[in-house]
Amino acid sequence: MVSPPPPPPSKSKKTPSPSSPPDYKAISAQWAAAKRAKILDDEIREQDEERTSVLARQREALEAARKKSYETRWLWTVGVWVWMLCIHVVGIAYFTSGFLLTRLVLEDKSTCNAPPSLNSSSASIDILPVWEGKGTVDGGCWHPRTFDRAVVLVIDALRYDFTVPVEDNAKFHNAFPFMYDTALQSPHNAFLRPFIADPPTSTLQRIKGLTTGTLPTFVDLGSSFSGTAIEEDNLLMQFRDAGKRIVQLGDDTWQSLFPGYFELNMSKPYDSFNVWDLHTVDNGVIEHIFPLMEKKNDWDLLIGHCLGVDHAGHRYGPEHYKMTEKLRQMDTFIRDLAATVDDKTLLVVMGDHGMDGKGDHGGESDDEIEAALWMYSPSPVFGRTKPEFATPPATAKTRPVNQIDLVPTLALLLGIPIPYNNLGRPIEEAFSGIAGNAWDNLAAAVRTTTAGIERYQASYFTARGIAQPSTPGSPADLWSQAEALLASGVGGKKRDWATVYSAFAAYQEENLKRCKSLWASFDIRSMITGIAIMALGVATLLVYISMSSDDDELAVEDSELDRAEKNLQMHGVTAEGDRSASSGLHRRMVSAAIVGAVPVFLGGLLQSLVSGVGDWYRGAGFAALTSIAAVMVTMYDTRESPLLSAVPRTLWGWMAVVFTVSQSVGFASNSYTIWEDSILLFFITTFGFVTALSALRLPNLAERYLSIYHSVLFVLLGRLASFSKLCREEQMPYCTSTYYASATSSTSAPWQLVIPFLVFLILPSIVKAYLTPTRSYEGLAPNWIGYVFRTGLFLSAAYWLLDAANNGNWISGLPENMLKNISVYTAQMVLGLALVAGTTAFVWAPPCVSIVTSALKSGKGAQVVVLGHANAHGARYLLLPLNIMGACFLLSKPMGGGALGVMVWQILSLVEILDLNDLTTTAIGPVMLAVLGSFHFFKTGHQAVLSSIQWDSAFIPLFTLRYPWSPLVVALNTFAGQILATAAIPLVVLWKVNPARKGVLDRVARALGMYVAYFAVESLATMAWAGHLRRHLMLYRVFMPRFMTAAVVLVLVDVVGILVTLAGVRVNTLAISEVFGWAE
Amino acid sequence: MPLVDPVTMSSTSIIKSVPDQPQSQSKSKDGAAPAITLQPIYTKQTALAQSTRHAFPALLAVLFIVRFNSLVEDPVSIMATSLPLVAILQMGYVLICLPVAGSHHPSGRTAAAARKPRPGEKKKFAGGDGSEAKSLPAALLSLILTTLITPFLFVAMVLFGAPMLTHSSHTFLCAAHLALLALFPLFFARGVDAAAWAAVGSFQAPFDETFGGLVGGLVGAWLGAVPIPLDWDREWQKWPVTILCGLYAGYLVGRAIGGSLAFGTKF
Repeated sequence: MVSPPPPPPSKSKKTPSPSSPPDYKAISAQWAAAKRAKILDDEIREQDEERTSVLARQREALEAARKKSYETRWLWTVGVWVWMLCIHVVGIAYFTSGFLLTRLVLEDKSTCNAPPSLNSSSASIDILPVWEGKGTVDGGCWHPRTFDRAVVLVIDALRYDFTVPVEDNAKFHNAFPFMYDTALQSPHNAFLRPFIADPPTSTLQRIKGLTTGTLPTFVDLGSSFSGTAIEEDNLLMQFRDAGKRIVQLGDDTWQSLFPGYFELNMSKPYDSFNVWDLHTVDNGVIEHIFPLMEKKNDWDLLIGHCLGVDHAGHRYGPEHYKMTEKLRQMDTFIRDLAATVDDKTLLVVMGDHGMDGKGDHGGESDDEIEAALWMYSPSPVFGRTKPEFATPPATAKTRPVNQIDLVPTLALLLGIPIPYNNLGRPIEEAFSGIAGNAWDNLAAAVRTTTAGIERYQASYFTARGIAQPSTPGSPADLWSQAEALLASGVGGKKRDWATVYSAFAAYQEENLKRCKSLWASFDIRSMITGIAIMALGVATLLVYISMSSDDDELAVEDSELDRAEKNLQMHGVTAEGDRSASSGLHRRMVSAAIVGAVPVFLGGLLQSLVSGVGDWYRGAGFAALTSIAAVMVTMYDTRESPLLSAVPRTLWGWMAVVFTVSQSVGFASNSYTIWEDSILLFFITTFGFVTALSALRLPNLAERYLSIYHSVLFVLLGRLASFSKLCREEQMPYCTSTYYASATSSTSAPWQLVIPFLVFLILPSIVKAYLTPTRSYEGLAPNWIGYVFRTGLFLSAAYWLLDAANNGNWISGLPENMLKNISVYTAQMVLGLALVAGTTAFVWAPPCVSIVTSALKSGKGAQVVVLGHANAHGARYLLLPLNIMGACFLLSKPMGGGALGVMVWQILSLVEILDLNDLTTTAIGPVMLAVLGSFHFFKTGHQAVLSSIQWDSAFIPLFTLRYPWSPLVVALNTFAGQILATAAIPLVVLWKVNPARKGVLDRVARALGMYVAYFAVESLATMAWAGHLRRHLMLYRVFMPRFMTAAVVLVLVDVVGILVTLAGVRVNTLAISEVFGWAE
Repeated sequence: MPLVDPVTMSSTSIIKSVPDQPQSQSKSKDGAAPAITLQPIYTKQTALAQSTRHAFPALLAVLFIVRFNSLVEDPVSIMATSLPLVAILQMGYVLICLPVAGSHHPSGRTAAAARKPRPGEKKKFAGGDGSEAKSLPAALLSLILTTLITPFLFVAMVLFGAPMLTHSSHTFLCAAHLALLALFPLFFARGVDAAAWAAVGSFQAPFDETFGGLVGGLVGAWLGAVPIPLDWDREWQKWPVTILCGLYAGYLVGRAIGGSLAFGTKF
């Protein structure tokens, strides 16, 4: 059984009486403490006897010693958590390095005069008659050249359905008809087809794919914020090496990928990440492109990249009139641009990816990968192999082309060599002749291309040092079949070029398929090492949690004992050793971890230096394993069968285990991963019902009803928050998004703007109502919660109102950017208030108590009443989570702000429930906090998918992208739930705890351990499942994003746990102990 | 909002300051709870009662299995039409097998150990005989209570995440089945004795057929939610078929175990 919380009297009344000296000393200590805190008059002190001052000096020395000891113990505790963080980071890094796709990049380049078909067995066969200038860029390197120059215009996030007629009234449909109309009316001049991106659908990755013709790897995704130059052979490199001049306008991602490629005087790059700005980039492109169209001899390739549609999607979602405006603008732009194109110029307009229902992208849902491709030439060039292909497909599901197919198509049309690593094949329309029956030309084009693919495959397998499989149906087999088919026609026999074409095309298709699965080649050893590190880390954590529980007995409150001890210490007899065994434990753990880790790590470092392989980081994995082993051995010393003691013994312990483990097991199934938010609600409700029923066991009726009330409230609030929903694509059609105005928008509905104001009106009063029962609404609390916190909430609510007014142009006639300016400064003020002023206030605040002294009627002595004594720890600490909530509240959309308000209320109810049912030392409290945090991650408009990251939140307090603030802001927005929950952990331990309680730090560290264990288990499980299901169809859609979320959350929770939770507890204990004396 | 402020605090401090030893607290708590004196419900020992006790669960199971396919097809109408049938079965069960609330006089408690095993001793249920006349009104009253409690179970299901605006008749009928199976026998056997219900509610009551059925039914219905999210695209995954399956299975198993293996034991 656990020790009961101490008697928490709301008023501690003591009357000094001369008859009992020990009592007198304690009271005078308290009295003196009260004086220090509340700055009582100096007069009383002067009246004190000399003896008191001697005692006071002794006491001060003792207090100083205790403070010092506390600070040391705190440092050791932090040390343990830093070690835990390191273990988690190393485990995750190890797994990730083996799990994320890797592809060998070949340095080879294609050359104009050496077409790859020369190497093949049928090299002597030429499908096409020799053309003029064959083998030169002017005539066409590998295929007759069709165009002299090209204008390639990328309209970012141009989803296919934006460009075709759709019979509905959606704001994003039917606003961009020009491309469809031209393709329909003059099929020889233009065609429009769906253009399928290879995920990940981030712009940087797409540009790589669109220029190199090869598949992206997931590793590169991380560099989306700072693109690095492409080293592989690519279209632009071929252009540049052929002496062509390239001009680039718009998105500056191109500049970072292709530094030094572009004509400096003509290119106009623009900042790409300011998603609030819909027009600067587009207007820049439009402004500069038309003069360039007049001077066609100054350039050979013109690349334009418009970002307006993408930004409109991110900022408002597709269902917004700004999107209609943007698409109309693009329609006019392309119409005008097409009019300036001459016969020898090719115009290509395309989207690099699509956007999901809310206008975001990054993942691999259908809406995100379905872009549009339109090619146009005033001279008749394009054909259709079948008459029904003349109408552009109605949806992206019919006749799509792969984005990498653009690479060989452009290369062959413009006469340059196809980049070496290309895996795509020429697009039919561009090579089938106007009549659509030029099968020989098609066959020649596809054969040249596939010969390049074959050459690449051969060198890839050579580079990897493995043999190419040639089983029937394999690419190698298909290739020899196609070659044989081509060779069989030698000797005047008329070949069926269509069949030859299909044979080579089949090879390309099969090869692409193989490559996709091959490059999902995982480094199993690293993955297993990572999983092993994580699993052992979880085991250590469990032992640690179960171990400290025994030390609670040391923390049993016994004021007599404490007094005696204090007396002893005051008289020079110091209690040897640490007062708490677990501080010794922390110290032993840290020492063991260092002893275990450092030699191995250095050894790894040394070995890599000697061998020169450069894999110094390999040592980290072994160092992690050895340090875990060392720590385990240390802990084993102190206790028998430590793992057995981690097995729960109570219903509550089992509940904590079931909530944690069942969910982690569920991550093996995509369904349970997809419906995680509903499952969390189910757990929250279960907990509430069980505590409500369990409250029936409470003997005291008032407590019983209060506990039931809080349990029911906890459940009701959870259900209330569950109405805030942002559905992921896989949840359709069983889910309706309510987070934004509609499912196809990323702005809030006007009624949602009321929510922050409701929070502003209600929440501070609720917090007050939880503090008043213990008379803890004293000290700084009334001013901070009642005024400052409330002001912050009001300003946040005002921010979202201003933002909506700005987005919707509610007030016309205002100077441009005025509303935006005001709102950004408002936001900065809120953050300053919550984080800067809030932290300062939290550090300097006195305890939330009020000390009332009144003279006794008897005339001798005085009565000291400390209001708020019973909850001195909890009430003061509460200020910290409230400050963090204030910051997160601003950075979450109105609906999310409401969810966070509910969350604070739920946390307060939770700690009341835990206190009333005597559960503060069980694992259920921290685990429920973790469940709450995860639940509100979903309720603040997120899902475990990349596209649900609300990038636009970076611009709430800032005008432009600024490091490191922008990523921090996005992190606060994304993980508001978990961050708030982590900051609230100490409340589980500190709520209704009076200053006399000992061992607070150890209890908090243990609660943090239970809390982190939830996320560590989740992280371990998602890791293991993602590794196990690495060939699963849903890997990249479900399992990998969930693993990434879990990994990021775990590291974040560790970091916040150290920087906020442990630091906050230290500050809090210092402040409380300054006033009430050191109990620790 | 917690408006109970000062009252609670003072009482909290009183109560919590009483137990000094952490070890003794659980005992003192149990001692304070009225549940300690609660006796399990003994089924009547008549031959009819004993056979009914075993036959009716089988009937319920058969009824459920037979109608399962149509339940999957049209949950609402099947749940609605089977409700009276289940009510009759449960009614028969409580009337034949269970002692009515109040027949269980405290005086009989001392004889509890001797009373159980011998079949010939059933006549000892003196109170039982006298209360036969009360049984029917009590059963009807229990039925009314069952009806009254159903909306609350409906709300509970919504809180667990059942759809709120749609499918309300599904959820409501499911709640009605839950009430009829798991709570109705308890109403009949325990009446409206607050102390008994506090013990039942806090799961401190001793296991018997009624309490076992309640625990089994609740756990079964809770577990019944597990298969819903799976993307197997099966017809039977529709709301609330799985809950009902879990409820029936859990209730029958819980009732069987509560009446036999676990009889008289406590959590």
